[in-house]
Amino acid sequence: MAAAGGGAAAAAGRAYSFKVVLLGEGCVGKTSLVLRYCENKFNDKHITTLQASFLTKKLNIGGKRVNLAIWDTAGQERFHALGPIYYRDSNGAILVYDVTDEDSFQKVKNWVKELRKMLGNEICLCIVGNKIDLEKERHVSIQEAESYAESVGAKHYHTSAKQNKGIEELFLDLCKRMIETAQVDERAKGNGSSQAGAARRGVQIIDDEPQAQSGSGGCCSSG
Amino acid sequence: MGGGDAHPLSQNTGREPAWSIEKKMSLKSERRGIHVDQSELLCKKGCGYYGNPAWQGFCSKCWREEYHKARQRQIQEDWELAERLQREEEEAFASSQSSQGAQSLTFSKFEEKKTNEKTRKVTTVKKFFSASSRAGSKKEIQEAKAPSPSINRQTSIETDRVTKEFIDFLKTFHKTGQEVYKQTKMFLEAMPYKRDLSIEEQSECTQDFYQNVAERLQTRGKVPPEKVEKMMDQIEKHIMTRLYKFVFCPETTDDEKKDLAIQKRIRALHWVTPQMLCVPVNEEIPEVSDMVVKAITDIIEMDSKRVPRDKLACITRCSKHIFNAIKITKNEPASADDFLPTLIYIVLKGNPPRLQSNIQYITRFCNPSRLMTGEDGYYFTNLCCAVAFIEKLDAQSLNLSQEDFDRYMSGQTSPRKQESESWSPEACLGVKQMYKNLDLLSQLNERQERIMTEAKKLEKDLIDWTDGIAKEVQDIVEKYPLEIKPPNQPLAAIDSENVENDKLPPPLQPQVYAG
Repeated sequence: MAAAGGGAAAAAGRAYSFKVVLLGEGCVGKTSLVLRYCENKFNDKHITTLQASFLTKKLNIGGKRVNLAIWDTAGQERFHALGPIYYRDSNGAILVYDVTDEDSFQKVKNWVKELRKMLGNEICLCIVGNKIDLEKERHVSIQEAESYAESVGAKHYHTSAKQNKGIEELFLDLCKRMIETAQVDERAKGNGSSQAGAARRGVQIIDDEPQAQSGSGGCCSSG
Repeated sequence: MGGGDAHPLSQNTGREPAWSIEKKMSLKSERRGIHVDQSELLCKKGCGYYGNPAWQGFCSKCWREEYHKARQRQIQEDWELAERLQREEEEAFASSQSSQGAQSLTFSKFEEKKTNEKTRKVTTVKKFFSASSRAGSKKEIQEAKAPSPSINRQTSIETDRVTKEFIDFLKTFHKTGQEVYKQTKMFLEAMPYKRDLSIEEQSECTQDFYQNVAERLQTRGKVPPEKVEKMMDQIEKHIMTRLYKFVFCPETTDDEKKDLAIQKRIRALHWVTPQMLCVPVNEEIPEVSDMVVKAITDIIEMDSKRVPRDKLACITRCSKHIFNAIKITKNEPASADDFLPTLIYIVLKGNPPRLQSNIQYITRFCNPSRLMTGEDGYYFTNLCCAVAFIEKLDAQSLNLSQEDFDRYMSGQTSPRKQESESWSPEACLGVKQMYKNLDLLSQLNERQERIMTEAKKLEKDLIDWTDGIAKEVQDIVEKYPLEIKPPNQPLAAIDSENVENDKLPPPLQPQVYAG
């Protein structure tokens, strides 16, 4: 148990382990984003990685070691209800939309609502407008996106996986924020022992509760 | 079997009689085999629940009923053995304290004693066998008891093997290893007393134990994190091999019911095609279909493992095969958008045994650090998602109309039939023939139904007709009621003629007059 429950790492010399979920409709470029970050490749025919759904990255931020586990999630509408199973116990969420696609931005709003409902303020949210290389075809206004992000306590970023813009900053910023949250947590809960106890339990299948909650959010796919 | 002389195998090997080799081989394959056959999975008693090879093919409930007593005895024996071992180990530990630096020696000594114990145990089991076989009058009892010790022996061989590995592993850690061994043993000794608690509480105890050990290793033992992880894996393997039979699918929960429910559900969804799920895998490529088969095998194999981590490893292997299949088809790394639908498809196709029990067991007893952040945890979460999706699957989630969905669910039609023309023009002849036959059958079915309705109509007509006739007759009868009138005059006159016959003078008789 190198670091129980992600945030509860801390003490001298131990590394932080963070779980970050990647949310976003299909085709917004989630996969390209992580592949660019972890492999520094884009649409490359020579990508050797077998998959881009679970990737890890080791970082060193100001002497603090961080193990980042990036969980991709299925973005299709039909899998929307499964969200809570994915983002349980995650420390951060990256919500990706396509700046040329208004719909994908609306989807992000739904996810934000759900995440806040399920995980409260413990989770660091990043709203990411991808594909800024297609600036001419932009359909989501910068102002609208940024003011929305601020209103829900999230940070907004603009990225282009194709041109490798803004991605490094996005992840670095997120990691810093997650470390801060984890430190606050540890201080508040004293030594992190009780916190570890609470956050210790693994993934569980939740039967009805999240279903009902996502339903009340007005964005449930089940009719 | 007995004809050893004539058997070619016995001649080749010389010493060993043929039957013993055969027996060994069958034992081996039994242990290695993956049980896929449905009938083998069900409880022998026919109660409809799953059986388990570890329970001699019975389900947990029937097994408990059948062998409760025998098991109690075994537990008692184990308990005594554990106590004896504890005493011996303490003695050994005390002696090692006096002569420092002889720790590894302590372990080997301890091991020696352990093997002694093992052989003693085996002989008692043998005695038990022979004693019961001699008692011919108690045949019934013998039959009920005989399989139980053999199973205990088999499982104890495995647990012994795991224990030995565990001890060998701990040896490399010297004093820390010894401490871990003690903690583990204490935990295992305490668990039997907790069997009355709910499974959630038992899980809680186990999780607490994992956490305590890990913390101690890090703070007191000053063991580096990578080694702690290895150590935790070994501990999990050791304790879960022992606890498995008590905490996997316990009868206090409705795990078994859920298993059956999901199994039925998957069977009912047999008609779901890869196209409906948008699975990005082209099974017509031989390599891909190979990967699909491997993935299915892996996910089914999960049930045969006892340690949560080994079960997780099966899921991970399955996932890797899925990624390979996607990579070959699409020639790019798979994202979750590709992976989840494919995993759902694999689960639907494989219908893995005791799916819910396995998921619950892993959730309750797996080392949490592995489950929450690691790669295995990610695949496990996806499996949970797949199961949740299958449970809640409806027309919308397959992009079907409600009518189509209902028709497929009720088995009235199959989507494959309609797709046979559009999807697989070069499908093999047999399949084509089958679809043709299916068409013919459905036509026949239609005609038969028509005949049935016609026949029913005819029957009704006939009944109506007879009823109509009856009614007409009735009407006529009512219209012209049958009256018994007094005898009619003219008739009476005729009759009276006869009546008064005697009054008449006798008829003239022809008389012959002479003359």
